[in-house]
Amino acid sequence: MIAVFSSKLFFRAVLIFNAFMVLLPVFFLFNSALRETNSFASNPFALARDPHWENFQQVWSDGEFATYLKNSLLVTGGSLVVILICALGAGFILGRYNFKGNTALFAFILTGMLVPAKLAILPLFIQLKWMNLLDSHIGLILVYSSGALPAAVFIMSGFFRALPSDLDNAARIDGASELQLLRLVLIPLVRPGMAIVAIYSAIPIWNDFFLPLVFLQSPENKTIMQGLTVFFGQYASQWGVLFAGLTLAALPLITLYLVLSEQFIKGLTAGAVKG
Amino acid sequence: MTASGLKRSQRKYIAALLTPAMATILVFTTIPALTTLSYAFFKWEGFQRGGFAGFVNFQRLFEYPFKDQFFMALRHNTLVFIAIMILQTSLGLLIAYALFRMTRGQRFFRTVTFLPVIFSLVVVGYMWQVLLDPYYGPINMLINDLGLESLAKPWLGSTATALPALVFINLWRWVGFPAIIFLAGLNAINQEYLEAARIDGASEGQIFRKIMFPLLAPSMTIISILTFIGAFEWFDLPFVIGGSNGNPAGATDTLALMFYRLSFGSVDSNANEVGVGSALGVLIFIIVGVGAAAGQYFLRKHEVEQ
Amino acid sequence: MKKASRRLRGLVAAAFAVSSVIVPAFSALPANAATELTFWSWRTEDKAFYENQIKIFEAANPGITVKFTPYLNTEYNAIVSTALTAGKGPDIIQMRPYGGMANLSDAGNFMPLTVKDVPALGKLQAGILAGAQGYKDKKQYGYPYAISAMGIFYNPEILQRAGVKALPTNWDQLMIAFKKVKDIGVLPLGNAGGNGPALEQLHATVGPTFYGGTQFFNDVVAGKKTFNDKAYVASLKAVKDLAAYMPAGYEGIDYNTARGLFANEKAAFYIGGNYELGYFRSLNPSLQAGWTPAVAKVTGAAKYVTTWADGAYAINSKTANKAASIKFLNFLASKDFGQALVDEIAFIPTAPFVKITDPVVKAINKGRTTLGTPFLNVVGFRYETPTSSNILQPGFQKLITGAITPEQLAADVQTAVASWYAPQKGKS
Repeated sequence: MIAVFSSKLFFRAVLIFNAFMVLLPVFFLFNSALRETNSFASNPFALARDPHWENFQQVWSDGEFATYLKNSLLVTGGSLVVILICALGAGFILGRYNFKGNTALFAFILTGMLVPAKLAILPLFIQLKWMNLLDSHIGLILVYSSGALPAAVFIMSGFFRALPSDLDNAARIDGASELQLLRLVLIPLVRPGMAIVAIYSAIPIWNDFFLPLVFLQSPENKTIMQGLTVFFGQYASQWGVLFAGLTLAALPLITLYLVLSEQFIKGLTAGAVKG
Repeated sequence: MTASGLKRSQRKYIAALLTPAMATILVFTTIPALTTLSYAFFKWEGFQRGGFAGFVNFQRLFEYPFKDQFFMALRHNTLVFIAIMILQTSLGLLIAYALFRMTRGQRFFRTVTFLPVIFSLVVVGYMWQVLLDPYYGPINMLINDLGLESLAKPWLGSTATALPALVFINLWRWVGFPAIIFLAGLNAINQEYLEAARIDGASEGQIFRKIMFPLLAPSMTIISILTFIGAFEWFDLPFVIGGSNGNPAGATDTLALMFYRLSFGSVDSNANEVGVGSALGVLIFIIVGVGAAAGQYFLRKHEVEQ
Repeated sequence: MKKASRRLRGLVAAAFAVSSVIVPAFSALPANAATELTFWSWRTEDKAFYENQIKIFEAANPGITVKFTPYLNTEYNAIVSTALTAGKGPDIIQMRPYGGMANLSDAGNFMPLTVKDVPALGKLQAGILAGAQGYKDKKQYGYPYAISAMGIFYNPEILQRAGVKALPTNWDQLMIAFKKVKDIGVLPLGNAGGNGPALEQLHATVGPTFYGGTQFFNDVVAGKKTFNDKAYVASLKAVKDLAAYMPAGYEGIDYNTARGLFANEKAAFYIGGNYELGYFRSLNPSLQAGWTPAVAKVTGAAKYVTTWADGAYAINSKTANKAASIKFLNFLASKDFGQALVDEIAFIPTAPFVKITDPVVKAINKGRTTLGTPFLNVVGFRYETPTSSNILQPGFQKLITGAITPEQLAADVQTAVASWYAPQKGKS
């Protein structure tokens, strides 16, 4: 009995310690964004008693964050559209149709997971240049989509496969074409899968700074993480403003996460369990 | 599931629905990957491709000055893989088990556990650089205030502590990932087995060792393979904190950083070596591919069906 | 509820994606006649200065606007390489000195400049012009706009408090001055080891008096001496000896923090280039700093001020706005711009007839004209890899922590340079 109690206490301590380790740096991040730069030297951990909201104002205007935010939304949103359309189609076929080459195609798609865009960056660069897609959000969207598709197709095919096959037959008896079957019957049923794919793909795309660094040249096309690195150079020693910039960049995803935290977590586990 | 005798109209739909995904992957992943492979066999002047070079680039990778960099980077990637595999996985399992057992406030702790995974590496990298700053950083200030001056090291600046510090930051950022996967695995275990075992008088420890752990094998497989791939393709965090040279003095250099340097040059000299870089890219791909396949094969054999 | 919002988000995203194609297509239609030039640089510190100067240029040249975009120093080369290769580079490019962008100029990315286009080029000396010429062909690809010079900055107030009565003139006196400052509880030296290039600059300042200045430079360039020479090894050891006076935890202290220590009057000395003065002042406008050339090895030995043409302005060979770009380049080469360079960010401009009133900059300028010696690594050995800097930058970090000896570091440099530099091939 004593052992059980102490171990319950132990596990609670583990969780509390973990929460502390996570939240303290995050608190530091948000707190520092509101402090005046010169106060850091004396006391890094002090509470921002006199919140300097103008740090955020400076980031917004000088840092051109409105532009970067818009671009990140464009790129991430555009990628999600492409990923969902492609993954729905491929997941449906590979999940519900048994034909020669199904396994081969599936394996082909999955090996895509082993090739990060980083390692193929130079050919991608030259290829996009040849396709006239450099310095364009569309080029970036296509590369991101291609990178996210293997996992997306994997997840969607799992969801499609799990649907009862009688649905197909019932719909076909009623005279529905394949497309109608897909559109009106199946897609509504795999909505959870779509949400999971969307969330799972959006995080790395929003957070990426490397591909925009190589593929986007014009300042007005830059995304938020790319803009952050430029921002660092200009405000290197103005810590208050710098942290305000970091906070602003992290805020959209954090807000989305807190609102949808259950879906986020279901998203990861769905792929794992079905695997 | 439809039998393999498909109607013509069905075949059209299949093609139409498959094509977008296949075409995208083919054009933007497969072809570039194969092209990188081909680049390794040519001579390069800056970004201009020269004549066919056979295996010369691979040879040069193992000669001065690239050989030392390559083996040092490879060593770092290997050490990082071992460290992350051991630390991140066990911590993740510990947290997952704790979440599984503690139902009070589980939602809060679950949300907090996964929170760092949402942050961009740029934000995480810079935040920790400030936290670990030897002069103004809060952590060293705290250590000094506690009277433990000798422990207040320049974490990210010393060649001895830089890589471990990066592993720690990586842990902070990623431990929620295995935690949540293990938690899902635990949740997927049929409650009846656990109840039956408890009725039979098994202790929680025995339940964990004999029932839960074996049934977590699929989660373990996924985490192991993803950790392996991540460790050998490690780029974002070292780049944000140490730059493309693996500051300090190459102590945080990785294979992917070396690939970046070879492709784009460094700060003091723009000169790049696309041929050698592509050869390195091929090697990285081989390492990751073989590792992932081997992991998949060996670990799958150990998985137990419920 | 979630389904509807997901649909809506998808539609909105699709609308954005579509509009991002159509809108630019429309704006590409010939609308107004104004020319916009793009200008890239790695000097994020000087953004405000350039934007002011651009306003002056735009007022005098209606119809031309210039957009200045600075990038993080460590990413600048990669960004410029990819942009130029993509055919999407800026019109005006700030060039790294000497070999720093050799492969880009060799690839024909920069427009060769003539005295006809840019008359100011005719007034510069050969040594300065070399800072922006091609490696394979000796065409002039840029207008070198500033001359950098290295020396020792000091805080007179701290020195007075420490009882340092006269400025040190030799190495031993410098060490004594450091000790005196340490005794009153102040940091002697702001320099730290967290940044390889900064350490390289430290060596470039104090090293020449040990390795033999311009004579050694000429000898190494000609292949008569190697980097294993005892005198060069002694210059490396000098850097190691300075580590004892660096801030605690110097291994991990980065460039900005180190400079900040001197600027905020927490350190008595800072050893480096004149370009730091503008940064110090931007952090602490009330700073009263002094400058002295690097001390001699021993009294009576030669003193040197390392100096070189640091940075140039180049024009993209594929620019669509050739005439406007040349106009802007001439503005950047003008006496007025040079005057602003020295008045506002304490650079030493190459433009002649510029009046230097700031006493510190005056001292620096005098130092470099009377005691000048080339920056060994930048001027001589940046054309192919591995450059001497490639070895020295991480090498100095290892040196000051004792991980390698000065002899080993010198040997590594020799191996690197000998691998591609013809006059040194086979020598050790």
